[in-house]
Amino acid sequence: MSVRSFHSVYMAGTVAAAALGCYLVSLRVASERAALEGVETRIVQTQSDIRMLQTEIGTRGRLDQLEQWNASALSLSAPAANQFVEDSFQLAKLAAPDHHLEVKAPVIMASAPAPRPVLGNDQSDQTAATASENSPQQLVHEASLKIEPRETPEAQAIVSPAAVKAKPAPKPLTPRATPPKSKTEPASATRATSKKPAPKLSIASAHTETKSIKLAEADPLAPLPYGGKPHAAHSQQSRDSDRRK
Amino acid sequence: MNAPTAALVAPRPERLRLVGQRRQILSMMHQRLMLGMLLYAGIVAIIALRLVYLAAFGVHSGEQAGIPTLIPDRGDIIDRDGEPLARTINAWSIAVHPDKVIGDKLALAGRLAQLMPEHSEADYFAMLKSGKSFIYLQRRASPDLVQAVNAIGEPGIEIQREPVRLYPQTTLAAHVIGFSNIDGHGAYGIERAFDKQLSDPATRGAPVQLSISMKIQQALEHELSDAMTHFSALGAAGVVMDVHTGEVLAMTSLPAMNPNAPGQVTPDQMFNRATQGVYELGSTFKPFTLAMAMDSGTVRGPGQMFNCPKVLPAYGHLVHDTHPFGRMCSVAEIMMESSNIGMAQIADQLGTARQQAWLRKMGFLSPVAIELKERGRPLTPRSWGPFETMTVGFGQGIAVAPLQLAMGYATLFDGGVYHSPTILKIGPNRPLAAGRRVFTADTSYRMRSLLRLVVMRGTGRKADAPGYRVGGKTGTAQKVINGRYSQTVNITSFAGVFPMDDPRYVIVVMLDAPHATPETYGFTTAGWNVAPVVSRTVSRIAPMLGVQPDLNREPDMGEVLPYVQGAQQDTKKD
Repeated sequence: MSVRSFHSVYMAGTVAAAALGCYLVSLRVASERAALEGVETRIVQTQSDIRMLQTEIGTRGRLDQLEQWNASALSLSAPAANQFVEDSFQLAKLAAPDHHLEVKAPVIMASAPAPRPVLGNDQSDQTAATASENSPQQLVHEASLKIEPRETPEAQAIVSPAAVKAKPAPKPLTPRATPPKSKTEPASATRATSKKPAPKLSIASAHTETKSIKLAEADPLAPLPYGGKPHAAHSQQSRDSDRRK
Repeated sequence: MNAPTAALVAPRPERLRLVGQRRQILSMMHQRLMLGMLLYAGIVAIIALRLVYLAAFGVHSGEQAGIPTLIPDRGDIIDRDGEPLARTINAWSIAVHPDKVIGDKLALAGRLAQLMPEHSEADYFAMLKSGKSFIYLQRRASPDLVQAVNAIGEPGIEIQREPVRLYPQTTLAAHVIGFSNIDGHGAYGIERAFDKQLSDPATRGAPVQLSISMKIQQALEHELSDAMTHFSALGAAGVVMDVHTGEVLAMTSLPAMNPNAPGQVTPDQMFNRATQGVYELGSTFKPFTLAMAMDSGTVRGPGQMFNCPKVLPAYGHLVHDTHPFGRMCSVAEIMMESSNIGMAQIADQLGTARQQAWLRKMGFLSPVAIELKERGRPLTPRSWGPFETMTVGFGQGIAVAPLQLAMGYATLFDGGVYHSPTILKIGPNRPLAAGRRVFTADTSYRMRSLLRLVVMRGTGRKADAPGYRVGGKTGTAQKVINGRYSQTVNITSFAGVFPMDDPRYVIVVMLDAPHATPETYGFTTAGWNVAPVVSRTVSRIAPMLGVQPDLNREPDMGEVLPYVQGAQQDTKKD
């Protein structure tokens, strides 16, 4: 009873503090439990709300109502027996594109090279050139790209410069084939084509056709013996360069 | 504490008597003080302990309310896919305590009449003046109305939430689900049959799951009501049943009723034609007679020949046919053309005793074994002589419920095994009870092609749903009006099974007193009015039931086609 020292006070304080600590823990537990119950209550209330809303949606979208909407607006009906497929094979068959063989399609040749220019006159040269333009490559183009008819001259023109490069060689041969008059003339003709086409024009024109030389004057890079095409080639090139610009 | 006190009251010297007396008084006071202190300490300790106990184990504010449960006031009813068919919701109700009204009663009555015009202002005033303690003004009130009434601010008006039964699908399957009365107890259908389970707190948490499928029910109901309106029939009934389990997937009776407003349902609407109504279903009975005869051995097979004259005199009566043969005809032809004359002879050979035994075995002589309480008792001939045996053989003189007919077809096509029909879903919680064999499996198999023949070439051609191999039998019976067979009014029915090469579902459809229309050419027979319903319903429900349509599959028609005159030529032509 009588407190002689502070020892017992400390003891009492410690006990009180311990008790208070225990009490606080228990209080904390109790409050947590209460919060948990609050959450559980809210879950149940939400579930009940969900149920209520589901009931409302179900009632508003009842089958009878859907049937009426279907009758008045949608007009959907059950699939007929022939709208069912039995297996994946039948399904795949439905999706496959129609594969029609085009019997009228031209035969595509496998890389037919242009025939070498035969030594001979201008006529043969011309035919060789036209043959190289017409037969295999042109056909390839037609089969695959289906080029419009109006574009074909230009397409030919693109091809021609490559074939033309070899053509200065046959040209001097043409006079030789007809009359063996002089050796200088053909040589001068070759020189004329290579170096100075303009001054030698008169000599060349005297012996062969004038047209080809005129054209050569217009376009020294493509001195073709026949008309129209070098121009076209030139214009094509210029167009190309225009495009590049 | 007592020790020092004891020391104080120890023997004292004489000379110190006074001092001793003072000390005695002092010690006594000490004692009393100590006692008082102990008392207070004890009380404080008790309070503290109690507080600690309460903090640790006692109830607290959060626990006071308790967790509400999701268990409804009455159990749900759901369909086989889990869709709700009946639920209990909390609806608003508006009531008034006339003795507690403090405002101006006349003004209040006027305001109430404005808000709820179903009663006049005078009526409301009379209610308020009546002095009663409680009057319902409106139950299932809409939230808007509740808000408006609440805004009046009259303390005598009570707005409360109370559980009400809601049937979300309204008229759908109403005769199966039924309805509950104002006290919340089942009054009809499942609500009545399972009232205990639905209202018992221990069991009402789990819903009652029906075998009904809402989608199939809707398809059947819609097609039937279409036909009923089209042919101006008095009523209609339909049943779709699983052959192997006896589960009723759809059952309807028209005219429909709205279980949400049971007070407005007329007795005619309330009558369940599928289970309560018993009808002479006519030729739909013939397959049973044939199966009985085949199982008893009096008919060997579909090729057996019978003499089918145009009119058959029998036991002082005359038996007529709608499509008379006037020649010898095979059993297959008798079925195909639904010949009464042929079937009467088959029934005659079977005999009365065997016929009754078979009918009893099939469950046709007792009320249909289903959980619903609305069941009709079959009508059988009072004196069952040989002529009655003949008429029962072709479906006259015996009246059964359409559900019973479906049950008979399910038995016949489930390999001859009877399963009692059920409205509850067969599943893990409710395993399928063992059936009982009625017909042999062989008879069941042979009936397939016979009934398919009826739909392919006979009276039921309009019931065919392409790809679904429907087989079945039409039935046209004269309606009994005032105790006499009417010559003009019919009850038409069709009992079908699909797919016939492996029977899975039975569909029975019935129209009560259909009228002729221009497109039926004046006929009111089953082939013209109910058979198309079956065709439309089957092509709608079969995909949902998982029946794969196949235009190249048929049951083994080689069993019957050789015995049908003209069939071979037809096939050659094809």
